[in-house]
Amino acid sequence: MNLMAQILINVIIAFLAGSLLLGFHRKVMARVQLRPGPPIIQYLLHSLKFFFKETTFPKTASIPFYISITVILAGIWVTGVIVGPVAKGSLMILFGIYAIHKIVEHNAGSSSGSPYGKVSCVRAVFSAAGELPLFAVIAVIFILTGTMDISGIIAYQSIHGPLIFQLPLAALMFFTLIVTKSPYSPFAITKGKEIISGFETEHFGMLRGYIMFSESIAWYILLWIFLTIFFGPISVVGYVIGMIVICIITGFINATTPMLNPNHSVMAQISIAVICTVGSIIMIII
Amino acid sequence: MEELYIMIYIIVFIVGSIAGLLLSYKKHMEPYIISEIDVLTLVFSIVGWFLLFNHGLNHFISSEILLTIAFFCIGLAIGRRPGYGRKETAIGILIAGIVWILTSGVLF
Repeated sequence: MNLMAQILINVIIAFLAGSLLLGFHRKVMARVQLRPGPPIIQYLLHSLKFFFKETTFPKTASIPFYISITVILAGIWVTGVIVGPVAKGSLMILFGIYAIHKIVEHNAGSSSGSPYGKVSCVRAVFSAAGELPLFAVIAVIFILTGTMDISGIIAYQSIHGPLIFQLPLAALMFFTLIVTKSPYSPFAITKGKEIISGFETEHFGMLRGYIMFSESIAWYILLWIFLTIFFGPISVVGYVIGMIVICIITGFINATTPMLNPNHSVMAQISIAVICTVGSIIMIII
Repeated sequence: MEELYIMIYIIVFIVGSIAGLLLSYKKHMEPYIISEIDVLTLVFSIVGWFLLFNHGLNHFISSEILLTIAFFCIGLAIGRRPGYGRKETAIGILIAGIVWILTSGVLF
């Protein structure tokens, strides 16, 4: 198939599947909290709705920055689709995408001039340490497999079996990262409800649509990476079941766990990263 | 090509869900939930889940077409207004699962 067509199809799949999974995640949380919850397609309908709403701009915003940051956010996640499902490229590029995502959170918060956005902006810098588990996972996988390419890791697993059995602590560390990035997470300090919606608070209309589009793709890519690098070459049905199961587990966790304060959130993530990294290295050596 | 079909299945499921949601709100304007089984939703659910699990039984129509119909029907049943379509979906999965177990040779 033509490369451009392949990219387009994968971006559409990532957006639609990511939206449905986020809707399902919200539904699970609602059912755990004994509420009926919105329909599963509600997240997708919200995302599409924002593209047709009037876009307004706060007086305090730094306009070029305020607009371009949402386009950059959408751009990096389209890149994520190209590097991940399309090319099965390097995990280091995906790590770079997560690093830029953090910078975008920071700048989206500061560019609006809103105090809520600014608090979120400061927290984005603070929580950058939360990306440590991702880097540690990539390092541990490289030590074992000798490659950072997703295609190479898949090939390694087709010979030696899924990495989750060889590196369970690294999988736990990555799962912590998934919980961190999931909606209403106890670790999601940049979007804590005491600061409304954090860095997204002052983005309206089409700009908010871009942010929601990016969030859907980001969620899909995160789950895709986890299933691919820890469960090896799996079928489409395997991906669907895996993604649904992860949404159910994170939904249960997020529905029953209150949000941590920023210090505890970052320290918990770093502690898990350190323990799991040391444990993984010891398991590889033994 | 597999990715193209996946995209079509997702789009069809979403279209089915939106249609199911609109139909459901048109039929049930009341603020409370009626806990009766809706026959039309039940039929869509059974047809959808049956085709999803057992599309391999048919050798005349291509699997892609059957799966497209299946995802549309599943979307119509599962995408109903919150509180509706759950029992119908559960019955559909149960019947499709029983047929799959009996015909796939898992037990024998």
